[in-house]
Amino acid sequence: MRAEKICKSFRRLFKEKMILFDISLSIEEGEVFGILGPNGAGKTTLMSIFSTLIRPDKGSLEVLGRDALRDTHAIRERINISSGNPNFPWSLTVRENLRHSAMLYGLYGRRLYRSVDDAISAFELGPQSDAKFETLSTGQKQRVSLAKSILNRPQILFLDEPTSGLDPEMAMKTRDLIKKIYQEEEITVVLTTHYMPEAEELCDRIAFLREGRLAALGTPKELKRALQIGHRITIEYQGVIDPVRLRIIPGVMEVRELSGRVEMVFDHSGRTFSTIIKAFDGADILDIEIEQPDLEDVFLELAR
Amino acid sequence: MSWRGELNKVLSATYKNWIISKRNVFTVFELIFWPFIGLLSIGLLTRFLEVGDDMVAFVLVGAIALSILQISQIDVAYILLFDLWSKSIKQTFVSPVRGYHLVLGAMLFGVIRGVAVFLVLAAASGHLFGFDFLAGGAVTVIVFLAGTFITSASIGMVVCISILLFGQRADVAAWTLSGIMMLVSGVYYPVSILPGPLQILSKSIPLTYLLEYYRSAYGYGSHQILLGMALALLYFFASLLILNLAIERARRTGMMLRLSE
Repeated sequence: MRAEKICKSFRRLFKEKMILFDISLSIEEGEVFGILGPNGAGKTTLMSIFSTLIRPDKGSLEVLGRDALRDTHAIRERINISSGNPNFPWSLTVRENLRHSAMLYGLYGRRLYRSVDDAISAFELGPQSDAKFETLSTGQKQRVSLAKSILNRPQILFLDEPTSGLDPEMAMKTRDLIKKIYQEEEITVVLTTHYMPEAEELCDRIAFLREGRLAALGTPKELKRALQIGHRITIEYQGVIDPVRLRIIPGVMEVRELSGRVEMVFDHSGRTFSTIIKAFDGADILDIEIEQPDLEDVFLELAR
Repeated sequence: MSWRGELNKVLSATYKNWIISKRNVFTVFELIFWPFIGLLSIGLLTRFLEVGDDMVAFVLVGAIALSILQISQIDVAYILLFDLWSKSIKQTFVSPVRGYHLVLGAMLFGVIRGVAVFLVLAAASGHLFGFDFLAGGAVTVIVFLAGTFITSASIGMVVCISILLFGQRADVAAWTLSGIMMLVSGVYYPVSILPGPLQILSKSIPLTYLLEYYRSAYGYGSHQILLGMALALLYFFASLLILNLAIERARRTGMMLRLSE
């Protein structure tokens, strides 16, 4: 999938608001690609454009080798989306909603029934299959949406906040299912999420959006390195140290002294760690705690 | 995509309308209560006014036509109305379905419900007021019903177009358009009694010609059914074209997202 200079604005009551500015990126076949950003960054709008639900104002988009602004119907046959905060016709049961969705995708005969049964089973919706959509909990609705998204065995699966509203156990199961789906079916997954550990666990590459612009793009490791977000080390000690020696160590980005304890942020590359330890040669080290940077740190840094 | 896949895309709208209708107690009112009350009121009014059998036939044809029109047009409008009320429009329009799939599927269900209403009302009017709905022959009934269903589909599509252009508040069109039709196309009176400008407007509405055609079987003047059917088909295809344009516009303006929020 390839997007070139995608722009999108919405007009409301004669006021035009730009939502996306010149978004250019490509998503490779078979990768899990995350779109992250704070509320209002344009994640859902970008996802809606990628899934051909809405059209961009400017720019070009190629999905599965086809022009997504022209061959929309052919593309829609081969993709699917699970939207955040999903809704379906409320008086239809789970099974009826999935059957209706399968019909919209042109499934018929045994394949239709098998796809619906498989989707119900994959997302553990068996006990709710005859319950009306309006009676389901938020988490169950989310699972119906996820079940719907695999009905047509898509080549690209768009997941908008796939675990929002799910309890921790179901969220973990859903993440496992997403991994299983893309590994077994060899499909491309594009997902948006607010949950950083989820992005770190699932995504091969991540695009950070901020105020409608692409703020960063890369693997989680690349992003941490590019933003110089280092490891955090806390050393408890007894005795006397010279803090100046710590500050001048190449790779140390931040030093905070507390009584009997030093907190530092450092780049784990090179010989920084052993040099830090040497700086404590006049004291006894009582405890060392090292925290790796996570995407939360990247997110906070980029959202600033 | 195979023909069976295409057929199932069409039937998806039929399936959804069928499930929602069978669960909705409101359906009984739509199919029996209101059409029957309308027919009964008009029939009793003719008794009170002591009009002849030919005049009874004149107004009963109008009452039956209006009921069929209302029920069939709302079924096509339900393409968007059900999704609008459940905020699930994007589930439909992210799938590889086209405007004509949805319209034909919903129209099929509208035809089934429209025929059911027609049979109920024709039987009731025959039993209560001695009205013979087959006086002009089966072909007359079939042509009249076909024209009414095509016209209803166009009205239903106009409702959908209004929602896609103007947003949720435009759903009121679902109940107002058939009212305007009733006024202008001479459901309960000949269009010749309308003021000049409205008479001109009535000539552009297929229902006017369909009513004249059915009534001509009961001795009410001549008819121009070919013109009426041509107009009905013209409006049907024009509405379908404009519906597709409105869907594309909703994708450009973001209305498609707003209608799902």
